[in-house]
Amino acid sequence: MMTINICIGSACHLKGSYNVVSELQEMIEEYKLGDKVELTGVFCLGHCTDAVSVQIGDEIFSVNTDNVGDFFQKQVLERI
Amino acid sequence: MSVFIETNSESLFKHGEELCGDKVEIVRKGDVTTIVLADGLGSGVKANILSTLTSKIAATMLSEGADIYETVETVASTLPVCAERGLAYCTFTILRVNTDGKAHMVEFDNPQAIILRAGKEVPVEKKEITIGDKQVLESRFTMQEGDMCLAFSDGAIHAGVGQTLNFGWQRDNIVEYACRAYRKDMPARAMTKLMLSACNSLYDGRPGDDTTFVTTRIRHAQPAFIMVGPPVDPSRDKELVERFLKADGIKVVCGGTTSQIVSRVSGRDLRVKIDYKDTGVPPTGIIEGIDLVTEGVVTLAKAYEIMKIYMSEESEMEELFDIFKQDGASRLARLLLEDCTSAHFTVGRAANPAHQNPDLPIDLSLKLRMVKDIAKILRQMGKEVEVEYC
Repeated sequence: MMTINICIGSACHLKGSYNVVSELQEMIEEYKLGDKVELTGVFCLGHCTDAVSVQIGDEIFSVNTDNVGDFFQKQVLERI
Repeated sequence: MSVFIETNSESLFKHGEELCGDKVEIVRKGDVTTIVLADGLGSGVKANILSTLTSKIAATMLSEGADIYETVETVASTLPVCAERGLAYCTFTILRVNTDGKAHMVEFDNPQAIILRAGKEVPVEKKEITIGDKQVLESRFTMQEGDMCLAFSDGAIHAGVGQTLNFGWQRDNIVEYACRAYRKDMPARAMTKLMLSACNSLYDGRPGDDTTFVTTRIRHAQPAFIMVGPPVDPSRDKELVERFLKADGIKVVCGGTTSQIVSRVSGRDLRVKIDYKDTGVPPTGIIEGIDLVTEGVVTLAKAYEIMKIYMSEESEMEELFDIFKQDGASRLARLLLEDCTSAHFTVGRAANPAHQNPDLPIDLSLKLRMVKDIAKILRQMGKEVEVEYC
């Protein structure tokens, strides 16, 4: 099971955590990964300047609605 | 018995008037709360001056220890005489209630106030006394937890005369309506708003007279402790969190970093579930033993907006129900407005460096202002608020 932590702290929220969450949820649905990938929220990851912060394992990525597809391909699909 | 005397009042202005001829003055001093509802003769400026003088003089004198005779005589000899009518006239209802529930009520020509207990009117024995040239009704009774007292101006019983009702909304009808609406945990604000919106409907949105309700409710005291923001000096984290966890009352943590500090010091997990109840408000977190865990500045700003609408005279009855939504801001607003009776804010002033970004409409000063504005609303409601900075 892979856990993706999405920061919903103040800065990330304003930079669009909600949109990133819903796009990831759609993609997980589309690839039928519901039992392999879990999305959870997390408060401030300390990378506010790179909002929206998304964490997989120990790595933190800066994700926005433009690169979320790319992020999903590279970081999620390839790791499963 | 540790109780809080919750009060709330609101007025409908006579259609076309800019000023209200009814006035409510509430003074809390020691364990006694003094509530005065005054209704000045006529409407507009004259009535407003009469009722303002009456309520202000009466509430101030009584809460400073003057007796009812002195007070009423002072009011009578102070009021300016209306040139047209040759009268200086202002009706009033005075309720003084202490935290033991002992109540003393004096009524002069206003419709008689309603005392509600468990959804029924409690009959109160009243004695007619003469003060100067005035016949007033005096009563002494005891209020219990959950009891409400509804005082109102004659605009309420005139509601709908000749429009929707032949004889207006008579006191019996008002009592029946209030009894049916009564709920054990109903806030004073909801009762006031409900009664007034009924009057407004009967008046078809164009009140023929100034109409005021003031609700006084005896309720159990419930303090809340709110931690907002990390302390400037991180070496104080432990001490502040430990004190917070020991406090007896509702506990709230506002702020992502602050939640992490509480989680770290207490050794309890912080979980954040991604379930947006409102896309504009970040989801809430969960820490065992904490009643509410939220993000900081966005949630506070939204909660303040909700609180402003809740208290606004312009808002509709339905808008009061916004506080029952499940997003973090609505839950915070409800907790502050309805659940707690006093609040202690521990405000950390450490700035998040990432928030100093000009692209972001959030910074430390915004957060501090939100706390101040929220505290102001709570104080207006008669709640004691302490704000401690660290």
